[in-house]
Amino acid sequence: MLGVGEKFPSFSLQATVSLEQGKTFQKITDKSFHGKWKVYFFWPKDFTFVCPTEIAAFGKLNREFQDRDAQVLGGSTDSEFVHLAWREHHPDLKNLPFPMLADIKRELCASLSILDPSEGVAQRATFVVDPQDTIRFVAVNDLSVGRNPQEVMRVLDALQTDELCPCNWHKGEAVLKAAV
Amino acid sequence: MSARGPYHTDMTLEQLLETCPDYAKDLKLNMSSVLRQAELTERQTWGTAVCSAIAARNSRLTEAVLAEASLHLGAPALFAAQAAAAIMGMNNVFYRFRHLSGNPGYAAIPARLRMQAIRTHGSDPVDFELWCLAVSAINACAACIEAHQGVLREKGVTEETILAAIRIASTIQALATVLDAGRA
Repeated sequence: MLGVGEKFPSFSLQATVSLEQGKTFQKITDKSFHGKWKVYFFWPKDFTFVCPTEIAAFGKLNREFQDRDAQVLGGSTDSEFVHLAWREHHPDLKNLPFPMLADIKRELCASLSILDPSEGVAQRATFVVDPQDTIRFVAVNDLSVGRNPQEVMRVLDALQTDELCPCNWHKGEAVLKAAV
Repeated sequence: MSARGPYHTDMTLEQLLETCPDYAKDLKLNMSSVLRQAELTERQTWGTAVCSAIAARNSRLTEAVLAEASLHLGAPALFAAQAAAAIMGMNNVFYRFRHLSGNPGYAAIPARLRMQAIRTHGSDPVDFELWCLAVSAINACAACIEAHQGVLREKGVTEETILAAIRIASTIQALATVLDAGRA
């Protein structure tokens, strides 16, 4: 599995972004949210039990993630049509405010090495990626255990409290390059 | 009288300066000369005025400066100058404490304070440093002054340029203290 410090892989996938006719699908790439933090979280299969609760929970926190310049992106190996059907079918997912990536060729999940060896679908993996596309946090749960999005928010907060001010210098240390 | 720009103010900067008490005439005259100097770019000048006014905490002066500055600055620079005042308001207390505490142990404990604006302010990095330095001078954080001055010198900014910004900060801070002195 890709780890902290490695670059998030490049990808180009169809995603289900809304239930509105004509606006349901959108192609999303690793560059679509350039300059923002990204929270990618994957689940094994649409239409299963644990998933809607945590997906909806991420949805409820979406505005707070946006406040922290973070784009949430969900994903599984299901197609964008299955995502659409699931969102139409499940009341908690109807107004989901973030895209659901359709990694139907399993290329992204394979690059991340998060495909479950026996089931062949994505494990419950979460990646927090910084604006320079570096992975800063990885977590993965076994298939039947849900995530706590508040914990992901806590980690993002902690990652964003880098002491960026040169006031943090200690005498004699090498001169800091100002943040771009 | 309303502002000429999008920011509202009851009095323009010029009108407000006319209310400056006689004993502070030097400040009124300094204000016009420090804003008209040639060492700083227009953006640096007015950004420094904005962040200094906010740091100096006189609401009438801040309103008047913001209104005037909005005629000289684009929205990104205006935003960044205000962001500098905001974030340095916090950092000047925090790092000044660490510096003055006499206990080096605090430097080993993470600050756990968000300061993303230092990365995301969206304006010129040198201008932003200058604004942070001006605010630090007003808030008297020695560690911050030394650090931000160091960054500016490292980036090739001249001492004359830096001092020009400090003159603005000094004058604005002083004006902020006297402008309300004559009011009931």
